[in-house]
Amino acid sequence: MVLLCLFPIPVLLVSCFIGPSELASSKSIFEYFRHLLFNTDAENATNLLTVQSILIDVRLPRIILAFLVGGALSVSGSSLQAIFRNPLVSPYILGLSSGAAFGAALALAWAFLPVQLSAFIFGLVAVALSYVAAIKHKNLSIVSLILSGVIVTGIFTALLTVVQYLSDPFKLQSIVHWTMGNLHNASWKLLNASYIPILLGVIVLYLMRWRLNVLALGDEEARTSGVNPVREKIIVLIAATLASSAAVSVAGIIGLYGLIVPHMVRMMIGPDNRQGTIINFLFGGTFLLIIDDFSRTIAGFEIPIGVITMLIGAPFFLYLMKKTNIGWEN
Amino acid sequence: MLLILVLSGCSNSTKTTDKSLSSIQVTDFRGKQIGFNRHPARIVCLIESALSGFYMLHAENNIVGVSSNIYEGDVFTQYAALDGRIKNKTLPAPGNWDFISIENVVALKPDLVVMWASQTESIETIEAKGIPVYAVMLASIADLYKEISDLGTITGTEKRADSLIQYTKTQVSAFSSSLKKTAVEKQKVYFMWSQGPLETSGTKSTVNELIELAGANNACTSPDEHIVVNLEKVIEWNPDVIVMWYDANKSPDDIMNLSGWNNINAVKNKRVYELPSAFMCDLWTLKFQYAVKLLHTWCYPSASNDINLDSEKSDMLKMLYGLKGKNIR
Repeated sequence: MVLLCLFPIPVLLVSCFIGPSELASSKSIFEYFRHLLFNTDAENATNLLTVQSILIDVRLPRIILAFLVGGALSVSGSSLQAIFRNPLVSPYILGLSSGAAFGAALALAWAFLPVQLSAFIFGLVAVALSYVAAIKHKNLSIVSLILSGVIVTGIFTALLTVVQYLSDPFKLQSIVHWTMGNLHNASWKLLNASYIPILLGVIVLYLMRWRLNVLALGDEEARTSGVNPVREKIIVLIAATLASSAAVSVAGIIGLYGLIVPHMVRMMIGPDNRQGTIINFLFGGTFLLIIDDFSRTIAGFEIPIGVITMLIGAPFFLYLMKKTNIGWEN
Repeated sequence: MLLILVLSGCSNSTKTTDKSLSSIQVTDFRGKQIGFNRHPARIVCLIESALSGFYMLHAENNIVGVSSNIYEGDVFTQYAALDGRIKNKTLPAPGNWDFISIENVVALKPDLVVMWASQTESIETIEAKGIPVYAVMLASIADLYKEISDLGTITGTEKRADSLIQYTKTQVSAFSSSLKKTAVEKQKVYFMWSQGPLETSGTKSTVNELIELAGANNACTSPDEHIVVNLEKVIEWNPDVIVMWYDANKSPDDIMNLSGWNNINAVKNKRVYELPSAFMCDLWTLKFQYAVKLLHTWCYPSASNDINLDSEKSDMLKMLYGLKGKNIR
């Protein structure tokens, strides 16, 4: 547990030294820090300026963004799995990914809004539609909610196809790249635009960690424990949607991440949401950062992070699944 | 009776099954030989740049169908100036670079369809209906010359095709030789496609040819035709000039305000430029020479004082499109 909490620190530090630029090598970065801390004479001041630019303007925002996005998707996934009492649930179950993809495609094709804002808004709209469609006589059935999520996903996927059909090759390529999930456009600006909703959602989910355990037992058990299951579920739903919408709006669709990581965490520490919430955030953030380190260094070009998530994350998940219990019931 | 009608229909066709007997023959970019007994009178052209070629060859009357992209965005105005049928939207558009309505293509009864070689499934379906396809795949300026030459052969305008190619080659070589006289340090250019600021082209691309013809070097050293690079690499390359492909939604100011780009020389010195029109600078038409001239003036402003871009543009349009070129704005 302590090890898992400390895990992000070395990964965050090492990530600062990893990148495709030969100019910003480990040696140059050490030299830059030496110059910064001890005000030593720099052999090549221009090079150090470039190193500073790469480290501070490019790597650092990307590292922080990767960590926040991974943490948000993971903690949202685990919270939703708890309230839906279903191990197959991910933050995308209520149409978030297809709504966000449609919003991003609209903005990429017609530029009526910034891409991230449009993705964020349409992601929220999709989840709200799923929720409204599922309510019947003021009751919210989980089965109805999942079904309406599937239908809303279908509708937004069809709308996305229409936008793609009407787009020229340049715009179509941008849309496809966006849907692959990537962090190569990470910047302080994107980070500033997304960290508040991400952290707000994560903090609410963290504060709800006790109730998640009660909600995971079922509605009747929750009521006997003095918890209003409908109200609490809505709060969790809103917080998870807020965090994951903000994450998707800046990073695109990182497939299955919010499904796989909560299971990994459960395999490691068990199903208790009291520890699970914070560990999901820390481990989810760190794991995505490691994947992004691969994504930006494995080749001379950017590999979409969603692809790497699948290629590295999925086999690792299958390995854990074979070696240990899935950790849902116990 | 029906059989007689069908047989008589076949005998009127411009197509021939035995290519060795064809008087008109070309080899398309798939390496497939296409033969005709007489010049195709009805051509469906689903590639915008190739359509420009037909207008340059003065063979537009043979066109009976175009790409739907012609009716969208920036290029519509220019094609409308070239052809009343496009202006009045009466020239059918049965498909584009991506989706094709086979039914609408067949309904136009074409003698030939010109389309991208990458549209393999549609090509197969159209050819299965007995309609010849000239498939195009452009990877270099030499490919562009071959395309114009082939379209000239197909439409019986070989002389016009030769003069167009000769004119372009002369323009480019005259420009290159004038460059040799100016002994200035070569500028490093980062080319930015409209898909995103980190999408560029490497050393084995038409963009690279464009940059080199303008007397500069491509900042991207990777060989890829299209590549998504990391911002770290762009900062490391530190280009002197950034050239954006035309984008109706972005301007050089947007690039200069991008977070993390402020230490790049081109941004620091406000040397970010945008090609002004997809039609005018289309790298897959003989108009690429105008983009070469633009790039040169942006890279070497002091050495390009005697280049009047407006008159260069109007001369080029007149030479390439003839009298109708005067109507293009």
